[in-house]
Amino acid sequence: MRDETRDLTPAVIADRTRAYVRDNFLYMRPDWPLKDEDPLFGGGVIDSIGVIELVGFLQREFGCTLEEEEITERNLGSIAAIARFVSAKCNGGGVRAA
Amino acid sequence: MCGIAGIARRRPEGVAAALLERMADAIRHRGPDGFGLHADARVGLSNVRLSVIDLARGAQPMTNEDGTVFIVYNGEIFNHLALRGELEARGHLFRTRSDTEVLVHAYEQWGERMLERLNGQFAFAIYDRRAGSVFLARDRFGILPLYYTERDGDLYFASEAKALLVTGEVERALDPQGLDEVFTFWAARPPRTPFRRVCALEPGCCARWQDGRLTVRRYYALDYAEAAAEPADALDALDELLRSAVRLRLQADVPVGGYLSGGIDSSIVCALAAVGSPHALRTFSVTFEDPTLDESAYQRAVAAEVRSRHAVRRIGRGDIARVFPHVIRHTETPLVRTAPAPLYLLSGIVQEHGIKVVLTGEGSDEVFLGYDLFKEAIIRLLCWQRPTSRWLPRLLDGLYPGIAPGAGKGAFWRSYFTTAGAPDDPLFSHLPRFQLTARIKDFYSTEFRAGLGAFDPLAELRASLPAGFGAWSLLARAAYLEITTLLSSYLLSSQGDRMAMAHGVEARVPYLDHRLFEFAAALPARSKLRGLREKDILRRWGGGTGLVPPAVTRRRKQPYRAPDVPAFFDGRPPEYVEELLEPASLARTGIFNPQAVAGLVRRCRAGRAEGFRESQALVAILSTELWHREFLGAPEPIRARVAATARVRPAAAEAPAAA
Repeated sequence: MRDETRDLTPAVIADRTRAYVRDNFLYMRPDWPLKDEDPLFGGGVIDSIGVIELVGFLQREFGCTLEEEEITERNLGSIAAIARFVSAKCNGGGVRAA
Repeated sequence: MCGIAGIARRRPEGVAAALLERMADAIRHRGPDGFGLHADARVGLSNVRLSVIDLARGAQPMTNEDGTVFIVYNGEIFNHLALRGELEARGHLFRTRSDTEVLVHAYEQWGERMLERLNGQFAFAIYDRRAGSVFLARDRFGILPLYYTERDGDLYFASEAKALLVTGEVERALDPQGLDEVFTFWAARPPRTPFRRVCALEPGCCARWQDGRLTVRRYYALDYAEAAAEPADALDALDELLRSAVRLRLQADVPVGGYLSGGIDSSIVCALAAVGSPHALRTFSVTFEDPTLDESAYQRAVAAEVRSRHAVRRIGRGDIARVFPHVIRHTETPLVRTAPAPLYLLSGIVQEHGIKVVLTGEGSDEVFLGYDLFKEAIIRLLCWQRPTSRWLPRLLDGLYPGIAPGAGKGAFWRSYFTTAGAPDDPLFSHLPRFQLTARIKDFYSTEFRAGLGAFDPLAELRASLPAGFGAWSLLARAAYLEITTLLSSYLLSSQGDRMAMAHGVEARVPYLDHRLFEFAAALPARSKLRGLREKDILRRWGGGTGLVPPAVTRRRKQPYRAPDVPAFFDGRPPEYVEELLEPASLARTGIFNPQAVAGLVRRCRAGRAEGFRESQALVAILSTELWHREFLGAPEPIRARVAATARVRPAAAEAPAAA
């Protein structure tokens, strides 16, 4: 059996998250340039309801549970921030991949 | 209530009777009981009539004694008996009991100043033959519609835009800025409409056409002179005003009914109507198969309390999609919610029961600060003032418990509200809503977006605000914006007059009696929104009278909602939906990007389009395509192929509620 946890590098998390964001929040603006450090919120990519959708995705996709206090700009404000945060949670908290 | 239409020519070339008949035919649903016209070399007037007062002799156009003043009129003047007495005392002779004739003599007596004396909901045109002028006026809040356009000095006016478009003399074209306002505010802001060069007369405004020139003027301006403290007799004054507002609106020579939503506003109206009506009150409600939207338990409780004969229109799977093309024909504008559709179905059962007039609770949320948006504005302001507070933003969670219950929202979700503009922006209270609605524009085609150039609907709104706006309290500013951007142009129109008149039903709105508005506007804001308790003074009054069940008086406001995406994508969508959302069809219309819409449709089919952002986009796109097909030409309107549902589904459960 493959150890999927090991596969969850920041790069993998970033790729999957980027694909999710493009597919679900930017499908109407395929020309939107989305770089990993670009702000997801306030910049018009994800709105208030989108935050809830995004959190749901991260929990499903990467098997981690996000606490209220963790849903912050520092942790989720960009693709890169999500990759760092989720990767740290994986390494620190026995997270398994979906 | 009625429909009116007319043309005034700069040169005395005449107005063909056939043309006036065509205009009247287009709005026949507004007045199935009668038709009349006047045509001379200069001016043509036509009217379709719904007989409510003086059924035998209220025909229009009506004239004064010597035939120099003609009127076509849509509406009700609720203080017409008092005005009639005043005019008779000044020597005016009346031939009928109708309020129409009161307007004719009021014009003779007071000229344009007559408007200040009217308590009512109205839109009318008075042709002053001696002056060669046409005088148009619309009520203070825009309860009734009036549209006009000009061409080479000729004036065209009508209750609905479709009557202008059928003349063949008015261009059928869209106004991109009007559409852009719909996708910002939920409706175009008068005088703008989604039709190029077709204007809506602004609420509280009148206009005079003479010698080929039209001059528009405001005769009524909303004002908020808030007192520092609630007057000691405020509850007594409210009691008198509420009873008077309802009593005046029960005047009719036909039975009057009421809409019951299950909330406090319509419950109060129906309770007062039941006390004051000479007829046994009939009440009507919409219920939903979807249990999360259903309010029928509260509706039944109130119907039992006021001992009304209650009828229900239950909205089931497929109902909204089936009527939606007809709804758009009546709204004459794209929508961002399906919420008008259930009201279209509701007026259908009112008509089936032979009722022509209903009282509704509309307007109370604006007058007494009922909406969550007002609380949201207060919380956002507090968050702005105390940015380090951890508990203040959490109040927003409690405000929207229905949004993703149980899901992690976190500080981020809240930051949406707390960062949506600074309090010194005059639009502060409404920025989250305007910004959310504007996400529909993500779906614009490149060409449509380019055509809009630098148009900024928010900048135009800021520039339109009255001089005293900045001195008002935050809540007064919010209420003003709510009334001018949403109540008049959407709630009273798309969800109000248009849905009722689609089935020849007149909706009367006691909370928009201007005396009641002025009373409430002069109260301190905390009399209305106390802490986070909405409509406080109304609840205090309701609790004290015992007219309304305590469960309803204590109940937290439930926003009226109808299914959006599931209305069309619960199972296989209706054929017309698939047809309109096809890339080729979208490309022909040119407003939305077919590729983007394909993505949305994919999400809708997968059941993943659950948020406001996508549900409003789906409704906006679909309604725009229907609207375009209906009014702007080929191919045939979808409506022509979709049966009018009132007949398809006659399911109206009825029982004497007091049993």
